[in-house]
Amino acid sequence: MKQNILTGVLLAVIALLVALPWFAPYFYIFVFTEILILGLFAVSFNLIFGFTGMLSFGHAAYFGMGAYTTAMLLLHLDWPLLYTLVAAMALSGLLALVIGFFCVRLSEVYFAMLTLAFGMMVFTIAHSWRDVTNGSDGIAGFRISEFGLGLDLVMGNPAVYYHVTLAIVVIAALVLYVISRSSFGLILKAIRQNPERVAFCGLNVRSYRLASFVIAGIFAGLAGALMAPFLRVASPELMHWSLSAEPVLMSILGGTGYFMGPFVGAALFVLLETWITSYTGAWMLFLGIVLALMVMFFRKGVLGTFLDWWMNKND
Amino acid sequence: MKQFNAKNLMVSTVTAATLSLGTGNAMAEEPIRFGAIYILSGSAATYGEFAQRGIDLAVEEINDSGGILQRQVEVLYEDSQGKAATAIQAARKLAYQDNVDALLGLDSSGVAQGMVPTVPELQKPFIITHAATPDVTGNLCNEFTYRISVNVPQNQKAAAMIAAETDAKRWTTIGPDYAFGHQTWEYFGNYLKEMKPEVELMEQTAFPRFGAEDFTPFINGIMDADPEGIIISTWGGDLVNFIRQANNLGFFDQGYEVMFTVGAATEVLDALGDQMPEGVWLSTRYWYDAYDNEANTRFVEAYLDEYGSAPSYNSEGAYAAIYAYKQAMEAAGTTDGPAVAKALSGMTMEAPNGTVTFRPGDHQAMVSPNWGISGPMHPEHGIRTLTDIRVFDPEEVARPVEETGCTL
Repeated sequence: MKQNILTGVLLAVIALLVALPWFAPYFYIFVFTEILILGLFAVSFNLIFGFTGMLSFGHAAYFGMGAYTTAMLLLHLDWPLLYTLVAAMALSGLLALVIGFFCVRLSEVYFAMLTLAFGMMVFTIAHSWRDVTNGSDGIAGFRISEFGLGLDLVMGNPAVYYHVTLAIVVIAALVLYVISRSSFGLILKAIRQNPERVAFCGLNVRSYRLASFVIAGIFAGLAGALMAPFLRVASPELMHWSLSAEPVLMSILGGTGYFMGPFVGAALFVLLETWITSYTGAWMLFLGIVLALMVMFFRKGVLGTFLDWWMNKND
Repeated sequence: MKQFNAKNLMVSTVTAATLSLGTGNAMAEEPIRFGAIYILSGSAATYGEFAQRGIDLAVEEINDSGGILQRQVEVLYEDSQGKAATAIQAARKLAYQDNVDALLGLDSSGVAQGMVPTVPELQKPFIITHAATPDVTGNLCNEFTYRISVNVPQNQKAAAMIAAETDAKRWTTIGPDYAFGHQTWEYFGNYLKEMKPEVELMEQTAFPRFGAEDFTPFINGIMDADPEGIIISTWGGDLVNFIRQANNLGFFDQGYEVMFTVGAATEVLDALGDQMPEGVWLSTRYWYDAYDNEANTRFVEAYLDEYGSAPSYNSEGAYAAIYAYKQAMEAAGTTDGPAVAKALSGMTMEAPNGTVTFRPGDHQAMVSPNWGISGPMHPEHGIRTLTDIRVFDPEEVARPVEETGCTL
């Protein structure tokens, strides 16, 4: 029963999101495009954090890789957007495979530090390799001429881009959800709870960790690939470690225990940022206070705390 | 959502209060809103602050004398943080959320390159008052984007003309590691080579990261390479740090021809005082003492009166941009974005830096950089004076439209 209500609420939220451009102020199209993209980024991150129990501080590397791939393909080859998204996922997945190969051998703080180190290496390459990445200025000035599949969409129209983003993010989230509910996903959860026991069951923990790392990288790449055409620029900031911190914050804010938690976290994060920066530049101070309170008193995050309370209410 | 309503309410209350102090005619209508995007935080925040000063001065003058199209004027500021993505989001917010009528701003070339291609979507005119990259009035140009300030090719053509007069043959550069630094060297080198083919453009150059604190290794590297002339495009707080460190290392005692492409910025001179060496070439997009005209006299007096220091070029550009919009909106008889953008094309105005025309071919204002040699300290303003001031013919230093890559 409650499961049905939740599904109903989720469908209603998606319906509201679809209808957003017709009732919300125009500016909110941009706000929600950003929420969707960062939400996907955070959900991909939560696959390794909340599910597999590995805290990565270098997740922006794959996000940025996706962003640069799309931006450069649009700029130099004028590919349809859809193809660039696929290419971005492939390259980000490849990058995650290479970096993950080294990182999954370590655990806990050593894993976190190694992902951070690799993340900064990727950032430095994007920042310094002027001939290819255009250095700190990033890749800008590209056009999106078509979406692909013969669809006649005006990608320059923010409302159209919002709907494209919404459709892709919903599909991507569904795929991630199916993965997380599959037997593969259950093994990831088991690894988080007790890696030794999983190993004793005859499963190769390292391979599972690597697989989850690569899948997360692929979807982070997709999020980044959607971000570059939205911002109209792919700059090294999209790879910086401070952006790697954002999915961590969003996941904690929303709740790591539920699949939709990071989406809720991303929505809160972006909306609070939009509102608070209208009044003061000290947005980070405010965010710090909120996060400190969350971690101290509501460790399951906004969505997690609410759902746990609601699910147990009448039982 | 609630917070936004509260904010809108606040703005309209403030507006109502301002209006009731204004003229009777203005009471009936909404004010004309300008959206200004500058660096308002971090190490380059002084530039945003100086732009703000210029804008506030212009808005005050205009509101005191009846506004634009008999409507009062107000300005909303957004912080670009020196990042293209932030500036693009800020422009979208200003255009769609705050419903501004026109945009101005941008301190950084990198930010300008990212943002300019997105301007036509907003359907609002946009005047760049500081960022100097040639691309925005070149291959990235569009019908909504204008620039009132001096660009890199204009300044480097002038720089090369001066450099060609000196005896220095071996030239190198020190500049920030982004579009501005690299393009300065590219244009300077090309122009100088054209005028004086025997010069050597050295392989050894230095591009420290923008915002780098320590320039010592770069200064040492350049001194080891033993150049005869150096064009330096480091600017803002970086330039202040650079010159202090260069003084300590004896950089200015080597007999080099030293040319600072943004060295005569008053905020830099102010911060350095007599630490700015005497006898080096300094440039600025506008030197307050270089023009003898009515608009300049009024601007400099009002500025000194209001802020107690000599106006910076960034204040002048931002100040002039507001007046450019006033003239264009009055010529168009409307604040409609495309109409105002169209009115700016080919428009000629009287600005503090003389008679300025927005060239229809690329929307670049025909303006001249000001170069001069640093002289004794100014007795009242507390900064170095400029001697041998050179004001160039705008037509002579501008790229021909065909070379800009702009097809308007």
